[in-house]
Amino acid sequence: MKKQNEKMACPEAMDAETALENTAPYNLKRLVGWIVLVVGVILLIRLGIRLLADRKYNLVSVMIALLACVPFYFTYEKREGSIRRMVMIAVMTAIAVLGRLIFGPIPAFKPMAAIIILTGIYMGPESGFLVGSLEAVVSNIFFGQGPWTPFQMLTLGLTGLLSGLPGLRALLRRRLPLAIWGLLMGIMYSGIMDIWTVLSLIDGFNWHRYLLALSTALPYTITYMVSNVVFLMLTIKPIGEKLNRIQIKHGIF
Amino acid sequence: MELLKVEDLTFTYPRQKKDIDEAAPALEHVSFEIQEGEFIVVCGESGCGKTTLLKLLKRELAPFGEKSGKIWFRGVEQNSLTDREAACEIGYVLQNPENQTVTDKVWHELAFGLENMGVPTPVIRRRVAEMACFFGIDDWFRKKTTELSGGQKQLLNLASIMAMQPKLLILDEPTSQLDPIAASDFINTLVKINKDLGLTILMTEHRLEEVFPVADRVFVMDKGKILLMEPPREAGRDLKQINANHKMLLGLPSALRIYHGLDAPEAECPLTVRDGRNFLEENYENRICRLERKKTESEGTKKDRPIAMRMKDICFRYEKDLPDVLESVALTVYEGEIISLLGGNGAGKTTLLNVVSGANKPYRGKLEIFGKRIQKYSGKELYAGKLASLPQNPQTVFIKMTVREDYQEIQKVMGYSQEEMEQKISEIADLLGISHLLSRHPYDLSGGEQQKAALGKVLLLQPRLLLLDEPTKGIDAWSKHQLQLLLKDLKRQGIAILMVTHDVEFAAGVSDRCGLFFDHEITSLDTPEEFFCNNNYYTTAANRISRQRYENAVTCEEVIELCRQNRKIKSGDRSQQRNGQGEAHEETE
Amino acid sequence: MNGFGSYHPAVLFSYYVLAVSFSMFSMHPVIILASVAGGFLLFGAQNGIRKLFKELGFFLVLFLLMSLVNPLFIHNGETVLFFMNDNPITLEAIIYGSMASLMIVGVLLWCRCYGAILTTEKFLYLFGKLIPKLGLILSMVFRFIPLFKVQIRKINQSQKTMGLYATDSVADKIGGGVRVFDSLVSWSMENSIDTADAMKARGYGLPGRTNFTLFRFRKRDGILMAVMGALAAAVFTGFAWGSYGFYYYPYVAEISRDIQSAAAYLIVLAFMCIPGILELKEKVSWNYLKSKI
Repeated sequence: MKKQNEKMACPEAMDAETALENTAPYNLKRLVGWIVLVVGVILLIRLGIRLLADRKYNLVSVMIALLACVPFYFTYEKREGSIRRMVMIAVMTAIAVLGRLIFGPIPAFKPMAAIIILTGIYMGPESGFLVGSLEAVVSNIFFGQGPWTPFQMLTLGLTGLLSGLPGLRALLRRRLPLAIWGLLMGIMYSGIMDIWTVLSLIDGFNWHRYLLALSTALPYTITYMVSNVVFLMLTIKPIGEKLNRIQIKHGIF
Repeated sequence: MELLKVEDLTFTYPRQKKDIDEAAPALEHVSFEIQEGEFIVVCGESGCGKTTLLKLLKRELAPFGEKSGKIWFRGVEQNSLTDREAACEIGYVLQNPENQTVTDKVWHELAFGLENMGVPTPVIRRRVAEMACFFGIDDWFRKKTTELSGGQKQLLNLASIMAMQPKLLILDEPTSQLDPIAASDFINTLVKINKDLGLTILMTEHRLEEVFPVADRVFVMDKGKILLMEPPREAGRDLKQINANHKMLLGLPSALRIYHGLDAPEAECPLTVRDGRNFLEENYENRICRLERKKTESEGTKKDRPIAMRMKDICFRYEKDLPDVLESVALTVYEGEIISLLGGNGAGKTTLLNVVSGANKPYRGKLEIFGKRIQKYSGKELYAGKLASLPQNPQTVFIKMTVREDYQEIQKVMGYSQEEMEQKISEIADLLGISHLLSRHPYDLSGGEQQKAALGKVLLLQPRLLLLDEPTKGIDAWSKHQLQLLLKDLKRQGIAILMVTHDVEFAAGVSDRCGLFFDHEITSLDTPEEFFCNNNYYTTAANRISRQRYENAVTCEEVIELCRQNRKIKSGDRSQQRNGQGEAHEETE
Repeated sequence: MNGFGSYHPAVLFSYYVLAVSFSMFSMHPVIILASVAGGFLLFGAQNGIRKLFKELGFFLVLFLLMSLVNPLFIHNGETVLFFMNDNPITLEAIIYGSMASLMIVGVLLWCRCYGAILTTEKFLYLFGKLIPKLGLILSMVFRFIPLFKVQIRKINQSQKTMGLYATDSVADKIGGGVRVFDSLVSWSMENSIDTADAMKARGYGLPGRTNFTLFRFRKRDGILMAVMGALAAAVFTGFAWGSYGFYYYPYVAEISRDIQSAAAYLIVLAFMCIPGILELKEKVSWNYLKSKI
């Protein structure tokens, strides 16, 4: 009893590193589970594009994107999770949505990806995915739902998921790697969303058209990348410090 | 069988690194029993362990730490209760109405607990309907929870817990964030639940004026121990006998405070305004009806003083198409005076403060601060050493990880050197008595402490004009008393204070002038004496107690003073005995 | 009001999924036109003629812009109109492109109309059943958004009156914005712990949670569901029989004009127009009822 007390007696003394150990109780089994899920999702998308050589690409792609999110949702539903983490996911989602609302008038220059990346880093891959995909659904209620919603759900979800992968999340707590990561995530967002552009506007997918679409979307891609880096640098301190404190004080995640 | 039984409960929080001394137990050997259907009020100053005690009674909320002793609920030891019993049979209402709301719609919030219990939909439908009718929620049943007023939110929290049909209802300062009218409605609802449904209620409260008289028993806590467990009349009487300078005495209902101030233990202890009136009538003559006041210095020389703030013909609305919130408001504040504005919820008092502080821009009218139009101030000029404003929600003031870091921010505004800053910080911390809180995280402080810490940050700006929005919200009677002294001290230094408050007693005690904000403008701005004596309802309890016998007593102290000037109605030689007794009690302390 | 939106969320949602799927699943001009017509009918019934015309302009621009994309990339088709950078621009590609963008216009229109019909409450009901935990999270998010907005305003005011970042310069605006964000994050996270405690105190997490809703499945919902189901079944049969088959390359197919196809087209049109008609009917009868008050 006494020893236990000693351990938690001085929570403030713990620094970020020990907190990290606390927050990453990922064993091999769960890690493999995650990797299988991610690979599975990617394969599913490839498969869908390959198999359906017919002309219903856009509908099928929307369905695949939606289906790809389902396993994440159901694993979260089935697992017993902490209530505090649940409320925290809601808080982070609301903050991300508000970020998009506040910067609404400026195209593509949005803080939501940065907030989702930080959620992934500090709260783990699952929370990252949930915050990312829920943000897409909820913010589109204000900005207009459409067939692109499932794509945004998937892309932003993956942004959060990848940022929270064990191994990466320790590295990403430093500014330089984080900035580079922000650039990468900007490219990824644009890259996946352009699959949807190609599929919906042009009849059929091939790499040539995809590259063309990517090049026309280049100004957007660059804005995504820049805004990611800017907002990551601005928000890492407020969000990081606060999530760390909550983790340590209340022992969530 | 008793509903709840607590046996020798001792609880210690885990030791914090930064507290050097060994942590004292938050609760020490607490034992009590509660019978079914009782209404119990737990009172004591902030930090006496009330909240800890209540939280320990609710298993889900029990804080982490070292605990000994036993808690029995309906004859079952707390640890052996099933999850369902522990969650559903003890209802718990927290302090802040906002934080305990979960869902976005009122109807869903009502059903939330029942959903958790796994009640089938038709049954939920019936119970929700019943609760909505009982609590008068039907009008806003389909509203969003964020659209409700504070009072409605707290009522909704209560209703949604009542829908689960608990056996015991625990409330932790449920009215501390509400305005007086909403608070008294809420307490009346609690009384109704207790009387009509026979529900057992255990609540803590700072504002005892209304809840004290209706309680079956009052627990007075002090430093983790229960000092008294008695019906209100006895508790009120005995508290003074235990310790004549107990801090809690300040928080008692006005009738009791007058009774204590007059040292009349042989008379029956009054609790309500009506009791108080009878007490005065039976015991004191009213030959002298007016209290002769010394003309206070600010009164006499007001016109010669420099003007701190003057507004004329100010009109403000939030949006073009919305109605005016402020309509041709005129007000002049002189240096070295305290002005309080009272008025209903949503009348626009806070908006007025925001106009003065420059956060809201009026579309018409003239506003001068220290003789210079507000538009002429640029950047931080207005805020460094001139004007500071304490917002209603102190949490909006903090952004750093410790109070000290937050305070150090002011360095940039005021251009202090490092040493100057440190010196100012320790001065302010001493003044407010919060030196021990400087290294804590702002959110780890209690509501009252946050209020003080926020005031500290604002005072570091060395304002000559201080705006306060509800400075007494959520703080206990002793802290209120301290704040009163502090404000008077600031006033003596020539600082002008403009305050918006619901707290009639506080305004009466501290202000030079009081005004009522009504119908978009300030009406009847006058000295507290004139202001409160001419109001019938919107006045202090002390005034309501004394108004039939004396003309101009507003605060408890004034009533006591008047009673002393008048003599006691003779009734045998009881008074002789009484004096002896009073002294004897003081010696035993 | 008892328009289309007053039906049970399950009915509304299944209709929505079917309508959007039909519009996206086939490139047959009739289906696309029927979808666009149904969408505009509903939009007009919801928002009135004036708003409809305003919106029409927006969609026209969108339509023209998107139609240009396909012929620039795709050079299939027999009828070459002209060459651009040595690439043939064909009539077939232009027609396909305009049909594809018309389809997107239709889908967008449906989505726009559904924003007003499938309110957050219905949305939560649907997902609360399927994914209760996430449904609750969404419900909290919907509460937090307006709450945080108010808090941002409050923080902004009290931070500004402390004289930090009080000027209107860009640097101060960014600095001030970060401070407001900082404070909002603290405030929301710290207070969310209280919310979690309150949830636990009210028994959240007990096994066997039920889902309460104000929505009831009435007879009229059943009727609409049945009508919808019958029409949808007919549409599916049409797909199976190839009534909605169509091709654009190498040359644009002709729209068949036999009775069987005409019936198939009518069925799609009927299906697409259900909500618009219901909404219009309600508007008209409401106006009539109002005149009697």
